[in-house]
Amino acid sequence: MANAVAIPASHEESEVITKPVGNHAAGNSRTCDTTGLPVCLTAQLFIRLNAVLGVVALLAGGIAALLIALTRWPAVHLLDPVWYYRLTTFHGLNMLIFWILFMEVGILYFASTTLLNSRLFSKGMAWASFVMMVAGAVLVDVTILGGKADVMMTSYVPLKAHSNFYLGIILVAVGTLIGVANFFGTLYIAKRDKTYAGSVPLVVFGATAAAIIAVVTLLHGALVMIPTWLWSMDILKEVDAGWYRLVWWGLGHQSQQVNVCAMVSVWYFLATLTTGAKPLNQAVCRGAFVLYILFINLASAHHLLVDPGVGASWKIWNTSYAMYLAVLASMIHGFTVPASVETAMRKKGHNRGLFGWLAAAPWKNPGFSAFFLSLLIFGFIGGITGVTLGTQQINILAHNTLRIPGHFHSTVVGGTSLAFMGLAYYVVPLIFKREYYARGLARVQPYLFAVGIVLMSLGMSFAGSYGVPRRHWDIEFTGAQFAPGFGSGAHVMLGLMGVGAVIAFVGLLTFILLTVAAVFFGKKIENRAMTPW
Amino acid sequence: MPENEEKAAEVFAHEHEEEEHKTPGTVVLTLALLISFAVYYFANWKALADVWHVR
Repeated sequence: MANAVAIPASHEESEVITKPVGNHAAGNSRTCDTTGLPVCLTAQLFIRLNAVLGVVALLAGGIAALLIALTRWPAVHLLDPVWYYRLTTFHGLNMLIFWILFMEVGILYFASTTLLNSRLFSKGMAWASFVMMVAGAVLVDVTILGGKADVMMTSYVPLKAHSNFYLGIILVAVGTLIGVANFFGTLYIAKRDKTYAGSVPLVVFGATAAAIIAVVTLLHGALVMIPTWLWSMDILKEVDAGWYRLVWWGLGHQSQQVNVCAMVSVWYFLATLTTGAKPLNQAVCRGAFVLYILFINLASAHHLLVDPGVGASWKIWNTSYAMYLAVLASMIHGFTVPASVETAMRKKGHNRGLFGWLAAAPWKNPGFSAFFLSLLIFGFIGGITGVTLGTQQINILAHNTLRIPGHFHSTVVGGTSLAFMGLAYYVVPLIFKREYYARGLARVQPYLFAVGIVLMSLGMSFAGSYGVPRRHWDIEFTGAQFAPGFGSGAHVMLGLMGVGAVIAFVGLLTFILLTVAAVFFGKKIENRAMTPW
Repeated sequence: MPENEEKAAEVFAHEHEEEEHKTPGTVVLTLALLISFAVYYFANWKALADVWHVR
């Protein structure tokens, strides 16, 4: 197949390009001094804005995470019940929705403009998307912290929050949808204007898969949230609770699969940037992304495995057949990504034994360590626990125990968030054009965060194996007539969870401080390549 | 100079060209994953069998 990206002639073009290039207007693009990739200046602005808001949401959700973990740790038991449930709601929305969605919109703009040598389709749409997402996120957070939406992230009917809570979520969803439409518009004009030849790069293909899943996800969100919003204002008399749960998971689960698609795209991107790796086999890798699009929605049924409102055959078809085709996709990427790194490293002469290539990998580069640790945590902890817990019979043992958050913290936090942190170590020098301070600390940060998340996740999983419930303020049932029966083993595991959470929070705070310091005060990168990691 | 980063545009441009590759290390990592999964999966079915007796 032909080239997908135009390679600039030399780094002398690193200033803003004053002539029209590709479909860029004069003065609206530059060539990256480091990678040689073209950068649309309009897209650059919105990548920056979305990244900054993503990190703000990460900080807010991270502080809530620490307070929640220190409450679930019985030896500390920090918060009172009202603030425990309030901050659990706040934490879920900021970490699972806002941090991730802001980053993903930025990734979509980057993939469709820089990798396809195209201008952004519409600046107006980008502003509309950003303003709606910010307004929605602020509205949701203010409503929760004001004590008017203690309904947890799932907001299961008949729990009723203030109407502004649902309105905020709708605004975020519509804003994201506009951002996704802007991405598709950019794909269209890039194809129309022939800014690239042949097929799009795999990273863009993966981003497209994420965007397609996002559309289906957000339509589910609109379908379930608009009636619930009307119900919260007493315009609708009733929302069926069983219907709500079914449709809500089309939003709740699929939004995490948008993350998975985006995370895998980031893996491929960072593998290229840090080791020079390229995909092993285009057809296989792209086929795996198609499997996500076709089957990941059906996998959302595993959230309803103990729900009396849906039948056994529906549950078994979706979770014991369709879901495995989506799992197959993750297994394919789980092989092809490290295999592409191995191929690149062996090509450079690191051929000693089975793992000489891995030992010689750039572990001091936080972009590499974050992505590879993300891959290991996602596969070995998140993947193994996910497939097991998604089995209907075993789910009976685990449902609503702490094993469930133990699983998804290893996928969404140890997987997606850590990969996005790795991406930030390149976004800041390449898009914000600023150097990181304290580079030694930056090299350590992914390990710190990964160790914390692994300890926390394992602590949760094993405490859940002892039967400790999720989303529970006081498993001791203080003052109750009967002892709850959680032994010392469960308490040790909850302690492990607490220690892991503190370490992970230190890692997260380190990331945020380093990134904020770099973005606002870092040494400018002008007419030169970034300092190599 | 950031060698790998400088080659990024070139790698993206030529990523469709298939190359011969041998990845024995990744195959071993994959087998480790599958064995870990088998052990964990079996342990969970065993735990289920211990608490949910079928008579």
